[in-house]
Amino acid sequence: MSLARVFEEQPDRRYIMFGGKGGLGKTTFSAASAYWLAKQGYRVLVFSVDPQASLSDIFQQDIFGKGAVEIMPNLYAQEIDADQRIREYQDEIRAKILDMYGMDQVPEEIENYIQAAAAEPAMEESAIFDAVVDIVVSGDYDYYIYDLVPLGHALYYLSMASVYDQWIDKITALRTEMEEYNQVAAVMQRKKESQEDAILRELQYIKERINKSSGILTDRVRTAFFFVVIPEEMAILDTKKAAGLFARYSVPLSGYIVNRVIPETLAQQEIPEYLRHRLTMQKRHLATIERELGTDVLAYVPEMERDITGLGMIEKMADEMFGGNEQ
Amino acid sequence: MPDEDTEKKAGFLESAKSILYGLAGHDMTRYALKTRGSMEHLFILITMGDLLGIPILPPYYSLRILPYVVPQISTWKRRMLRERDLTDALA
Repeated sequence: MSLARVFEEQPDRRYIMFGGKGGLGKTTFSAASAYWLAKQGYRVLVFSVDPQASLSDIFQQDIFGKGAVEIMPNLYAQEIDADQRIREYQDEIRAKILDMYGMDQVPEEIENYIQAAAAEPAMEESAIFDAVVDIVVSGDYDYYIYDLVPLGHALYYLSMASVYDQWIDKITALRTEMEEYNQVAAVMQRKKESQEDAILRELQYIKERINKSSGILTDRVRTAFFFVVIPEEMAILDTKKAAGLFARYSVPLSGYIVNRVIPETLAQQEIPEYLRHRLTMQKRHLATIERELGTDVLAYVPEMERDITGLGMIEKMADEMFGGNEQ
Repeated sequence: MPDEDTEKKAGFLESAKSILYGLAGHDMTRYALKTRGSMEHLFILITMGDLLGIPILPPYYSLRILPYVVPQISTWKRRMLRERDLTDALA
């Protein structure tokens, strides 16, 4: 099956992700798919959750932290600025404290905590994935294309989400039990109903957010996850390993795209020995890919003669991936 | 005077209820509130543990809960950090 047909036959899959080792072409494929879909008339947002995002580079336009920027009709791109999001979030918490207790300034101890919390390593990941929920929930686009962080981070997030989820369940249970004691005391003292527990409400909100963000990654109906691989031994082994891990977290795998295939027609030309060796090696690895991934390979994309930056090259890449615009 | 009678009766009932509450209910209420207080401290420990150097909850989400526990933070820290001594037995 071709990549274009996957999109045609599974029109409900609106969250598109490309995963794979770093540097194999995830951003390129994200941008090219976004371009292709936009040309088909869909409203598309391609966004990066990578702190070292490169969408700005590929579109040759600075979009970092500027929200969704229109690249061309129907095509929007966004790079999430995690630091800015964390700063805004901290300010929100401070404002809430001042408002709730009518204070002029946040007590020193609390302020220190707010600042220290932002320095935790998990903070950035949580902030990014939380931002993703906001983007996706807004539902302004037909397609959302994730330029994913390298595999390890996505897996880390998925495992983190399931741990958080169980953790939230446990503290919600504790909070509910506390509420029961409150009610017992209220009944004994013949008071009216105790106040609704705001913390319980927050916990339920947090749980909903975590489930939503990890739920998108594992949604079999709406998510299409493609692995990017290149015909090299390490990349093939790593991809197979990662595919196994992703399957364990129920990420729906839609297929593989093989990138950086040196055109075999070169072998008929006068080429240096070095390139001939590369071609022989590539042939062997392509045979492995064919044997082990078989019909799950949706496209073989050739190594381009120059960098993929700018809309002209992105269009060329989209043609290679989807076989032109003829559909 | 039926109204006065009803009033007296109500006043008597009210006092009886209070006495009964004092005899039986008050201790239970105190116990319920004390248990709840302990649980509140446990809750703050597992959500705001990093304040004592024990990170438990992912900080992004613990910040959301922070505003609600601001008033309890100082008593909680005192309770968590104080040394155990004889007076604990009296608490």
